[in-house]
Amino acid sequence: MDTMDKLKILAGSARYDASCASSGSSRSGGEGSLGNASSGGICHSWSDDGRCISLLKVLLSNDCRYDCAYCVNRSSNPVERTSFTVEELVGLTISFYRRNYIEGLFLSSAVEASPDYTMERMVAVVRRLRQEERFFGYIHMKIIPGCSRELVKEAGFHADRLSVNIELPSGDSLNRLAPQKRKESILKPMALLGETISANRLERKNSRSVPRFSPAGQSTQMIIGASPESDHRILLLSQGLYKKMNLKRVYYSAYVPVNHDNRLPVLANPPLKREHRLYQADWLLRHYGFSADEILSQEHPFLDEHLDPKAAWALRHPEFFPVDINRADYAALLRVPGIGVTSAKRIVAARRYAVFTPDGLKKIGVVMKRARYFITCSGKPVERLFDRPALIRRKLLAAETVASQPPLKQRQISLFQ
Amino acid sequence: MNRYRYDGTTEGLLTAIDHILRHETDPQKVELEPQRQNLFDEGVYIATDPQRADILIRRFSAAYPDNARQVIYVILSEKELMETSLLQYMHAVSVYGCRIGAHLTHPAVLAVHFLARKVGREVHRFKGLLRFAMLEDGSYLARMEPDFNIIQPLSKFFTRRLGTQEWFICDVKRSLVSHWDGRKIDFGTLESFRSPELAEEELQVQRLWKTFFTHVAIPERKNPQLQRSFMPMKYWKYLVEKE
Repeated sequence: MDTMDKLKILAGSARYDASCASSGSSRSGGEGSLGNASSGGICHSWSDDGRCISLLKVLLSNDCRYDCAYCVNRSSNPVERTSFTVEELVGLTISFYRRNYIEGLFLSSAVEASPDYTMERMVAVVRRLRQEERFFGYIHMKIIPGCSRELVKEAGFHADRLSVNIELPSGDSLNRLAPQKRKESILKPMALLGETISANRLERKNSRSVPRFSPAGQSTQMIIGASPESDHRILLLSQGLYKKMNLKRVYYSAYVPVNHDNRLPVLANPPLKREHRLYQADWLLRHYGFSADEILSQEHPFLDEHLDPKAAWALRHPEFFPVDINRADYAALLRVPGIGVTSAKRIVAARRYAVFTPDGLKKIGVVMKRARYFITCSGKPVERLFDRPALIRRKLLAAETVASQPPLKQRQISLFQ
Repeated sequence: MNRYRYDGTTEGLLTAIDHILRHETDPQKVELEPQRQNLFDEGVYIATDPQRADILIRRFSAAYPDNARQVIYVILSEKELMETSLLQYMHAVSVYGCRIGAHLTHPAVLAVHFLARKVGREVHRFKGLLRFAMLEDGSYLARMEPDFNIIQPLSKFFTRRLGTQEWFICDVKRSLVSHWDGRKIDFGTLESFRSPELAEEELQVQRLWKTFFTHVAIPERKNPQLQRSFMPMKYWKYLVEKE
């Protein structure tokens, strides 16, 4: 089989991995080395599903001995099996990188003969890239649960980010849908990574000559909608991963039915809306100072599909509002729907020089169609509806529907198609 | 209000700003525009002095590097009627210090901030969207048509990223070209563009990239509207995967 056919199969089976981040690491080599990693991350293209492409995302092999119900590469599926040779994948990465198609490599693999055998082959690819090709671009690597500690350690010194997939939001679901995988064998390498990464940070504080271990941290991903867990449970899990395991990101991947299996739910479409709301809630956990129990509760275990989680929180907590733009602290500004991290920082910096009016807020990028119901400017409200959350909800939903309609120009063109 | 005029070049603009900052009592109340071919155009014309322009931008960059980057990005945007805002911005920074850049309720600061941000965003986009093709002689060529004149900051980025290979970046619309030979960078203008011969392996690599691009998308999640909002169609012309 030639490289073209292998690429078709191995890119096609890697596409269900959600992560494509290339941020969090800055790396550059001396003379004669190829590439660098830029800490903000760079997207190089966007595929037809609207997801960003920044890394060459492929499996090293799709020849899997596991039989997980949700996975396209499960051993009982009659798909063509193949794997890249080390030379092939290294050559592909370098020739794409030299043309600025990609930011680096995202390397994952199906579990071939054993976790150790597979991980050893993956490490051989990145070792070759870093040492022989002197490649300093971004590398994201999956850790195969069950492989040896030594291989994890070596992977971490070559890669910018490591990840272990948690697969499903609970141990029960894992037992049911991926019977050959164990929750413990997934959490063990995650804990090992968490410890090694923080120990390496400390060591590097004392001496800069210590090589970096997975400088962009670790991430994980779980499939949403293939198992019955509530959003509340999922967010509690993510919160735990961020706090206890020191994860950089948790990715949520809407379940796409690729197999027929009576253990799986029957869905007309992937739950994309739910995935989107979970990402919004995830941002609230990481950047906005919210906790999982504030966003959802036992009584309200699922996110509102029609309203973003921050607006939903604001409507349940009318006692928190109005927030005064010219006086409130940064943490309180962040809780206002329509004000994000960027706007909140701008407000705090700019109000040292002059007071804000509603018009000024609009100019610096605050989304006034949402924020207007929750703020005052030096005591003056924009709308006087703070005690009527039901009405605000209706108005917020109306503003969203207007915005989600395609612009007039596009609608007209479609008449003639 | 005092009116000043300059010849429309970047050096002329900086010379005029330098003159006004040194001679005017309140530069916030001055209007600066390019000279028009018009009998009734009033205003003091400031003759271009490259040396003064150079001194101003050097000193300003040394004292306020972040604010200087914003000024340079606004100049690279080639947007008209930004002169007065730039003057007021540079005056405010030199009087109140770099932190005045956060004073977004000031109209000139706001205008400079957001325009510089737009240019910065395009530079960032092209760090990802620029596509190099290997030529017969082993060097690489990238073509682009950006909205703003970003060839300088972009080329600087690629000297670090692709430092081991010889490359050219060509701004087709402005007929500008930059050349990196592995050690130093040159900027020039392009008299005529002759499509050079591609290397033999180039088409094969492009086919591989197109294959990857097609197969990495999840068919069940197809969303062309989202794709276009991240990657507007104006950039597709030179994208291998969108040809």
